[in-house]
Amino acid sequence: MVEKKLRYPTGVRPLLIEETARRKRIESRFVNILEDAGFAEVVLPIIDYVDPYASILSRENSRSSYRFVDREGDLVAIRSDFTPMVARALAPALDASQMPLRIFYRGDVIRCDASRLGVNRELFQIGAELVGDPSLDADVEVMNLAVKIAREFGIQPRVVYNDTSIAALLSDEERRAVATKRALAPADIARRLTPEISARLESVAAALDPSTFALHLDDLDEDTGYYTGIRFRLFGPDSRKAIAQGGRYDDVYQRFGTPAAAAGFTFTIDDLD
Amino acid sequence: MRIAIPKGRLQDRTLELFAAAGFDTPAESDLRTRRLVFQRGGIEWIFVKDCDVPVYVEHGAADVGVAGLDQILEHNCSAYQPVELDFGRCRLMLIAAPGAPPLTKIATKYPRIARQWLEQRGVRAEVIPLGGSVELAAVLNLTSHVIDLVETGETVRVHKLELQDVVAEISPRLIIGKNAYRTETTRIRQLIGRIENALEAKNATAVSRIA
Repeated sequence: MVEKKLRYPTGVRPLLIEETARRKRIESRFVNILEDAGFAEVVLPIIDYVDPYASILSRENSRSSYRFVDREGDLVAIRSDFTPMVARALAPALDASQMPLRIFYRGDVIRCDASRLGVNRELFQIGAELVGDPSLDADVEVMNLAVKIAREFGIQPRVVYNDTSIAALLSDEERRAVATKRALAPADIARRLTPEISARLESVAAALDPSTFALHLDDLDEDTGYYTGIRFRLFGPDSRKAIAQGGRYDDVYQRFGTPAAAAGFTFTIDDLD
Repeated sequence: MRIAIPKGRLQDRTLELFAAAGFDTPAESDLRTRRLVFQRGGIEWIFVKDCDVPVYVEHGAADVGVAGLDQILEHNCSAYQPVELDFGRCRLMLIAAPGAPPLTKIATKYPRIARQWLEQRGVRAEVIPLGGSVELAAVLNLTSHVIDLVETGETVRVHKLELQDVVAEISPRLIIGKNAYRTETTRIRQLIGRIENALEAKNATAVSRIA
């Protein structure tokens, strides 16, 4: 039992003076860039009910949060993903005259995934959302802002993106084939695109710097989660880990009572070394 | 690019396959040393325990690897599995001593797979994770059943055990880390293509030998 005096639960640790100072420096640079870009901060609770999110989070996803029963007997979860929480917080107060809304948030999320070694972790994230603008300009703004932030930290980012709405054009079997990379090359997928999606992807590509952004038509997970359009991942010098990720999720707000288009991204700060 | 080769059962055939695909693989003499990392042909070859290959690839410590479906499932590994390999196939089976009582306890190196299988079958039984020599659990009545890999069936015969059911058909697969695929797409697609071609060429030779 002696060891418990030193040890923390798997995946969490304190930041001592130097690390905290470093974290604070990173945070304040983020905040400066985001505020300059017209984003305002919101603060979200560290725990919330599980129920309201049932229709948004896949079973797999909701299993990755710590859940427990609170004193009133309700099932609650520790924050594991900001985006649905932002939507639930903002949806009742959305005012069409104030749209688009530019907000950002920061804080810890805790993910537990006992079955995967070392994935169980407390992560510090900073993210931004552009709410109420369904246009391609909003997609491009969000993607370029993520790149701008990475550059601010001296990183030459590479962004891989795709449009998750492509998934709807494929059969279940084809989706699985793409998700495991067993079949269906990007060229095959390109032939399947509707004129509408093709046109959208062309406009997005035209607005992005081709040396930073790469469209990968076969970058499609079997379960696309709550994403409904562009989905991107930003890589730094260590190409094995995405520093930031984001995209468009136009259906999330309506689940909380107020339909609103939304796009955004999240940086995980521990990955920003 | 870093490629993880599984030590043990699959090692030789895996290296043969990469060699047949035109890769400059570590030589026999290299492998007799105790080193586990080799630089050859612009690739870093690492040799890890077969059950650890999915872990290395999942976390990006290796870009590419070869792993059995048993290890992929047990680790809930999210890596891409573009190619199924044509060697080292075996079965994950439910095994028991003759006249064993109904299924109440299973000893296995694959607790996750065992629990999923029980769940699917709607069977309630306790899973006891073991590190190896799992069949002994059935022989010595530690558990009523075991779930383990069966390749030739020799171990099962020696211990006079019975094969009761197939839990899963197991084949080794080429696995690719998702982020490696995203960021090194061209090189990774080339690698997949070369492995596929090598497998096809091998099959063609085998067919012509039969004909």
